[in-house]
Amino acid sequence: MHKVLRQISQLRLHSKPLLEPSSGNAIQSLAVVPAVHHPMLTGGQVSVSASRDLHTAAGSGGLCAKWNKNNHGPRKWLEYNKTVHPPQQNDEEPRKAYVCHMRSNIKYSPDKMWYIAAFVRGMSVDEALKQLNFVLKKGATDVRETILEAQEMAVHNHNVEYKSNLWIAESFVGKGRVFKGMRRHARGRYGHVEYKHCHYFVRLEEGEPPVHYYQEPQTPQQQYDQWMEQMRSRKIINSL
Amino acid sequence: MEKLMSVKNCLKLVQLLPAPAMAPALQLQQVRHRQTKHWKPEFKRLRKQKFVKIDLPNFREKAEDISKEEMRSRMKERGVLPPRPWMERPFHISCTGGIFEAYVPPEGDGKKSLISSSGAKQKLEFLEKKSKSLMAVRKIRSYEESFSTDEFGDHAQEIYIAAHTHMAAREKYKIREFVSERCYPEMMHNVKDKTIHWRFLQSLEPPRVVHARVTEVITKENQFAQVTVRFHTQQMLAIYDRFGRLMHGSEILTKDVLEYVVFEKHISNEYGKWRLHDKIIPDWLPPKQPAPITYRLIEDVIEETPTQIEASKDKVEQIAATSIDSNDASTKSSLAI
Repeated sequence: MHKVLRQISQLRLHSKPLLEPSSGNAIQSLAVVPAVHHPMLTGGQVSVSASRDLHTAAGSGGLCAKWNKNNHGPRKWLEYNKTVHPPQQNDEEPRKAYVCHMRSNIKYSPDKMWYIAAFVRGMSVDEALKQLNFVLKKGATDVRETILEAQEMAVHNHNVEYKSNLWIAESFVGKGRVFKGMRRHARGRYGHVEYKHCHYFVRLEEGEPPVHYYQEPQTPQQQYDQWMEQMRSRKIINSL
Repeated sequence: MEKLMSVKNCLKLVQLLPAPAMAPALQLQQVRHRQTKHWKPEFKRLRKQKFVKIDLPNFREKAEDISKEEMRSRMKERGVLPPRPWMERPFHISCTGGIFEAYVPPEGDGKKSLISSSGAKQKLEFLEKKSKSLMAVRKIRSYEESFSTDEFGDHAQEIYIAAHTHMAAREKYKIREFVSERCYPEMMHNVKDKTIHWRFLQSLEPPRVVHARVTEVITKENQFAQVTVRFHTQQMLAIYDRFGRLMHGSEILTKDVLEYVVFEKHISNEYGKWRLHDKIIPDWLPPKQPAPITYRLIEDVIEETPTQIEASKDKVEQIAATSIDSNDASTKSSLAI
């Protein structure tokens, strides 16, 4: 691929004076090379001089609407906040309120963010906010802010009476926009770099957090019993 | 991991040492040591150069944080023209912006005796205003021949019921026929995520027209008529939040409601309709009972600096936001006896 790119750059170097008097069509067809690659191609100089002649409209950046027509981040998560549940009878237990919130395109790796998201899962909000103060990771501030925003939303818009009476029912990470970059290697080779973004999603629910968010830890006796049960319930094929 | 170990060691130290000896050490600021240092720091610059620099867009940037000059330079860079200033603003007047010469409901409506001095005074004032109302009715009749104050009460009640049932059903398109543009946001604000059960049970007294006014907007031919109708009815109201929990009112409780409702019609418009416009809430009405939820009391602090004022404004808004539901809920039964 780098060979092709190099060829393009050379082509541009040669063709620049030749094309200048002619109509802009030819130049524009060359200029379709995204802006992301510009500095790599020619060390910046040529691309600057070329762009002076061109009409580099908004349609040439990495965020060009033409190329990202359907790239509109997560949309479904906040829609859950719009569901209206049917009224309850007097004898029913009141339904627990919940709020969904998210922060999209955080400049942080989703892989790293996972650790933070999984860490706060199943905690009460106060506990999570307290703990996140001591997490020395870049994404922790984003998570903290998102939870705080969600908490405020819950109290203001969703009829939650006490802001401390919330726990983190869901907390997960999505992959956001990824920009490809280049890294120089020896002997004219190159490596790929990915500049990743991530989305952070959280759902706060009213009430006390459960004692065990994940499966309840089992005693050795329980594990043994379960294993025994499993063994005995096996089906032996072609047997009586 | 090393960091964790060091923290653990520190904790051990704290446990081992006697309390008075540790006291000054614990006061110290916590110091973080960077553990990600490269083993060959002298080539840091060269290593950095291996990466081809690309400019990443800042997705977390907000439009309001960008300064004007910054925006200008960016638009220049991309060759985008600034938006054309649009000085004209088309607007369509299909209703007036409020009540003109509002009717003032008598204090303690229906409870005050005519024989008392204040009661007699009120009666006199009404007589003065009545002549104006009669003139207005005559004017309305010149545009709408079939208009009569006796029959209008029933028609108004139909509109009233239709508007409120559509509001409870969140029929945002159908309600437009029965509610003026001024009233629409007041009725439909905050009903989006709620379930409203509203029933009109019966009319205790036949609705009657108490007040009528006609005004012109911009030109002389452009006439608007407003008629105030007194309703004394029995209603049921229960408001549930998004999760189906009862927020306000009750399904089994009927309430007597006394209301002065203003209806408006664009009389110079051939296809104009009588629509619900506003409700008159008198000054003497006692404050509404707050919703039975916990509030956060924030004391108002008087400060001069603008930043602090803004902060206190936020606080006030917080309170307002918590109490808004209760307000909205009780707008309908504005005068509960």
